[in-house]
Amino acid sequence: MHNCTETKERLMELVLDGRSAQASELNTCAECRAEFEALNMTLRLTSRLSETAAPAESYWSGYHARLRQKLATTPNPSHAETQRRKEKLGPLFETMRLCVRTQVRVPLPLALAVIVTCLALGVFAIRRAETPPTQPAAQPPLLVRVPVEVPVVQEKVVTRVVYRDLRSSSKNPRRAINDAPTESTFAKSGLNGFKPTDEIKLTVIKGGTPYEK
Amino acid sequence: MADSDTELIKRAQAQDLDAFCLLAERYARRIHLLASHYCQNTQDAEDLSQEVWLKAYQAVQTFRFDSSFYTWLRRITINTFLNHRRSNFFRWRGNTTVVQLLQIDSDDSGELVGSRSASPENIYNKLLFENVVNALAELTPSQRLAFLLRHYEGMSYDEIANAMNCSTGTAKKGVWRAIAKLRARLSPDSHDEPEPLIDLASEY
Repeated sequence: MHNCTETKERLMELVLDGRSAQASELNTCAECRAEFEALNMTLRLTSRLSETAAPAESYWSGYHARLRQKLATTPNPSHAETQRRKEKLGPLFETMRLCVRTQVRVPLPLALAVIVTCLALGVFAIRRAETPPTQPAAQPPLLVRVPVEVPVVQEKVVTRVVYRDLRSSSKNPRRAINDAPTESTFAKSGLNGFKPTDEIKLTVIKGGTPYEK
Repeated sequence: MADSDTELIKRAQAQDLDAFCLLAERYARRIHLLASHYCQNTQDAEDLSQEVWLKAYQAVQTFRFDSSFYTWLRRITINTFLNHRRSNFFRWRGNTTVVQLLQIDSDDSGELVGSRSASPENIYNKLLFENVVNALAELTPSQRLAFLLRHYEGMSYDEIANAMNCSTGTAKKGVWRAIAKLRARLSPDSHDEPEPLIDLASEY
C-alpha cells in the first residue's frame, strides 16, 4: 500500500544521498513524483551555490596574506599555553616567580655563619629526633609471700541403702529410716578417719528387698 | 613533491608558521565555503573562516592524528559557528544582494565568480545566488548548519548530532525542516520565484 508521507521522507534521503528514486514507486503516485522533482531541483540549486558563491582566484592571495599576518601576530601555541597557565595562576604565579628569581647580596662570612648555624641546628634536630624519649623507670614488682590458711572441708557423701521391712515394721514404718548412724556403722563401712558431718543423704528405694542385688 | 598533511602538521606543531600556512592553503576554500554558506556575507565569511584558522593554529599542538586533519578542522569550524550563533557576530544584510547586482562589473576583492561580467548567464547566476542565499537566510542557524553539514559535507546524522551536541533525531529534523523550507522557497510552484531562475535550475 503506497503511503505518501513515508515515501516523501524516503525521497528526501534519496535526494540527499544523490540516488535516483525507484521509478515504479514514483510512477504510481503523481504527487510523490512531483515532490521528488521539486526536492531534486531544490538541492541542485543549493549545490550550484557552491560554484556561484566561490570567490575569484585573485581573492585567495589576499586572503592568505591577511591570514598569515594574523597568524604572525598571534602568540605561538607554546607561548599561548604559558600565558594561559599564567593567567590561571594569577598573582600566586607572579609571587612564586619573584621569590625564585629575587637576588639579595649577602657578605660571605655572614652567609657562611648562617649556613654553619643551620647545619648545626639540623644535626642537633636529627640527633634529638633519634634519641628515644625519657620515660620513668619501671618499678620491679614487689613480691610479698603471705601464708594464707585455706580451710579444707573434708566431706564425704555417704549413700546408704535403707530398706524398710514391711513385715517387721508395719506398725511404725518411719522407725528404720529415722535410725541415726552409730560409730559401729562407720566402722563397718570402712569410714574410719573421716569426720562425719551433720548431714546424711539417704536414698530410699521403694519396693526393694534386703536381698536384692 | 608536496609535503603530506602529516609532515606539515608535525612541522606546524614545532611552531613552523610556513607549514601551517601551507595547510591553510590546502583547506581554506572548503572552510571558507562553509562559512560563506553559513553567514551569507563575504566579509563575515572571511572573518569567521580566519577565526577558525587562528583557533586551529592555537590548538594544533593538541592534534593527535586520531582522525584526518580536515575532520579535526571541521570540528573547530562547527564549534566556531555555534559560538558565533550565540553571539551577535553576523551582520545580516537583507538588501545587499541588490547592491551586489548593481556592482556586477566592479573589481571588489570579495566579488563572486558570477558577478565578473554582465552576460545573461551571469545575471541568472546572480539571481540564483541571491535566491538561494535568501532562502538559506530564512532558516534558523541550527537548521542551516545541519543542512550544510548533511548536504555539502555529506556527514551522517550521527556525525552531525555529535558535532552539534544534539540528538540524532534533532539533527535529522533540522535537516528535513531546512529542506522543506528551501523547497517551499525555491520550488517551481512557489509564487514569488522568478521564472528565469526556474528555467536556469532546470538546465542543470
